[in-house]
Amino acid sequence: MKKVLALILAVMMVFSVCAFASAEETYEFDITVWVAEEIKDLTMKQIEDFNANNEFGIKFNATVEPVSESEAATNMIVDVEAGGDIFCFAQDQFARLVQAGALAKLSPEAAEAAGAANTAGVVAAATSGDAMYAFPLTADNGYFMYYDKTVVPEEHIDSMEDIIADCEAAGKFFSFEMESSAWYLASFFFATGCESEWTTDEDGEFISVNDTFNSPNGLIAVKGMKKLVDSVSHNSSSAGSAFASGSAVVVTGTWDYNTVLDILGDNMGVADLPCFTVDGVQYHLGSYNGCKLMGIKPQVDEDKAAALELLGEYLTGEQCQLERFEERSWGPANLAAQGSEAVQANPGLVALNAQAPYSIPQGQIHGSWWDIAKVIGDDVKAAEDEAGLQTALDNYTAKIAALFTMTSDEKNAWTVIGTCNLTDGFFYTDYNNETRSNWTDDIPMVEEDGIWKTTQAYEMEIGVEFKVRQGRSWDNAFPADNFKVEEAGTYFITLDPATGAVELVAE
Amino acid sequence: MSEKSITASRRHMGLKAASRVSNTLIHILLTVISVIWLIPFVFILLQSFRVESTWQVGYVVPKTWGFANYINLFDSDFPRWYMNTFIVAVVTAVLQTVIVLCMSYTLSRFRFKGRKLLMRFMMILGMFPGMLTMIILYRVLSDLGMTQANAVPGLILVYIASSGMGYYVSKGFFDTIPKSLDEAARVDGATRFQVLKKIILPLSKPIVIYTILTAFMAPWGDYVFAQYVSMGTSAGKNVAVGMYGWLNKDQIASRYTMFCAGGVLVALPVTILFMCLQKYYVEGVTGGAVKG
Repeated sequence: MKKVLALILAVMMVFSVCAFASAEETYEFDITVWVAEEIKDLTMKQIEDFNANNEFGIKFNATVEPVSESEAATNMIVDVEAGGDIFCFAQDQFARLVQAGALAKLSPEAAEAAGAANTAGVVAAATSGDAMYAFPLTADNGYFMYYDKTVVPEEHIDSMEDIIADCEAAGKFFSFEMESSAWYLASFFFATGCESEWTTDEDGEFISVNDTFNSPNGLIAVKGMKKLVDSVSHNSSSAGSAFASGSAVVVTGTWDYNTVLDILGDNMGVADLPCFTVDGVQYHLGSYNGCKLMGIKPQVDEDKAAALELLGEYLTGEQCQLERFEERSWGPANLAAQGSEAVQANPGLVALNAQAPYSIPQGQIHGSWWDIAKVIGDDVKAAEDEAGLQTALDNYTAKIAALFTMTSDEKNAWTVIGTCNLTDGFFYTDYNNETRSNWTDDIPMVEEDGIWKTTQAYEMEIGVEFKVRQGRSWDNAFPADNFKVEEAGTYFITLDPATGAVELVAE
Repeated sequence: MSEKSITASRRHMGLKAASRVSNTLIHILLTVISVIWLIPFVFILLQSFRVESTWQVGYVVPKTWGFANYINLFDSDFPRWYMNTFIVAVVTAVLQTVIVLCMSYTLSRFRFKGRKLLMRFMMILGMFPGMLTMIILYRVLSDLGMTQANAVPGLILVYIASSGMGYYVSKGFFDTIPKSLDEAARVDGATRFQVLKKIILPLSKPIVIYTILTAFMAPWGDYVFAQYVSMGTSAGKNVAVGMYGWLNKDQIASRYTMFCAGGVLVALPVTILFMCLQKYYVEGVTGGAVKG
């Protein structure tokens, strides 16, 4: 009897070892991948390449579904559980996806590798707080100018006024989407140095904005915009196919390259955006420089999560990005891929590069901003004089301010913001990791007997600058010029709102 | 006498001329309106045969005609979406018609406790927009495994689930059929079901047709709910959701004429159905209100 028992136990042990061993060796997962329809087959092939070549014996049985990058978030948010395990999305959906818990945080190693291999702007777009949540997929989501060489001579392409005159003379349209898209109309504001920078915390919540559209420079921008929208040749469109219906100039991106080439053939010209002139000063039109990202859904199974991260890393690596460029002309975010000869020679990407110095990376932007800002175009068109233009900007600012409806306590509270080089993780690190804080986040203060004081002491070096402000806005801020630390040390920061006196109190 | 008759006939002539003028004016107006109304349809039809380019252009009449757009449709997921839509619409049309007719017959002919209450309750329930229940319906379907690739049974379930509440029109029509007919049949030994089948239904052809048509149309053109249920899977989409995806900025240039061709194919069965059943349809909508 004992022998039989021993035998059974021994057999069981052998089995369990076998089972363990086999579980150890094969990682096989069923996954769903959401990509744009045009790269569906390519992605399938790339996943098979990964299956064949990875060193861990991971095998994915992938179902690749065509889901447009512009709709990924809408779909994911319906039901994260049923969403794709890996999905591609345009960067403007990033904050929503983080808030919905639809993106898994990248492991520090993966984040570091992806951060080093890709363009800084794209990496920033995939980062919320100080964590990276997605892999860079492309860096070509920007716009530039296509033009018909028979209508607009090459010597005119640097001046918006000349182009408008050419179009008017030829009875053709200058297509630039000003009436329904904030993405395009921001171009004028960036030209005059205006900015709209939003800050998110680690949960993807928007905490503050630095928006200077309503400023003297903003007024110059809308004056330039007025010149365009008032022209009979202006057409609010960003479709490359507009060349087939009377346009001589269209401002759009690389995705329309083949369409425009088909329509215009040898007459197609591509260039960076032109300059406009207000009061004798030239301003080069700016642009958004956006990207597409690839995210991974949070997983229950840790092995699967790790395997998916490897797959994501592979699919967004140099080789896969180059393959996408070769097959679909998607502009890579990968620095090495960007340097390749073929990419350097692509006319669309060349124009995008020419526009790059005037473009700003599209960071995290509040979802409501697009709707708030897009009406500026119509308001500007309707405006009859400078006061009307100013009203358009005032309306815009009022709506932006309403996004941050703070409680009265929050509005009254004083906070510190600056370049204090803190040793704890309180401030955002900037993406190059050179300085710890770059005027991006506020540190809280508490009130005691009418004096506001930081809740803890912070280590500061000489040259650190900061201000103390109320309600996280600049309406009330002390001191008038930045406070400069003259002696290194560990200090509390205090403020007496009655006198506006800011002091450092050694710990 | 003779004078009178002359003036009468003169007046008569005047009336005739006046009515001819007003008729002409009305017809001109109607022609203008119908031309305006038809332009988009003609436009889509013409664009669907344009093969020289696939994007939007500034002219209407194609330079080169061909069927390439229709052929290309069959290389895409379109046939799958079309089948999904067709299955959902046909099954819904059949089941919903059966349910609605049974419901109406019951409420029209039977007298039972709580009948009035039930009718009022359903009327109030029907006043809430169906969209309100979307999220909870999605959860239920998702737990039943009827979403994404299995969206077809899920959608059928949702469309027919509340169909009993759409009884008003047909109950109104049944009420106009004299009860004495039923009673005569009952006296001759017909069961309730036989009364419905052999007496009521043949007399209410228009309303049956109307019910079938409306039941078919709703799922045929649904977008919002179908989009939720088939989220993220091509295999579960219906035509409206699937084709909407072609309007993305990176697809529109290569899919625009295909989109038009798809639109024509979507309109086809509905148009044929309406042309055949038009006569009954008009009778059906007004029938319940006029008779009796």
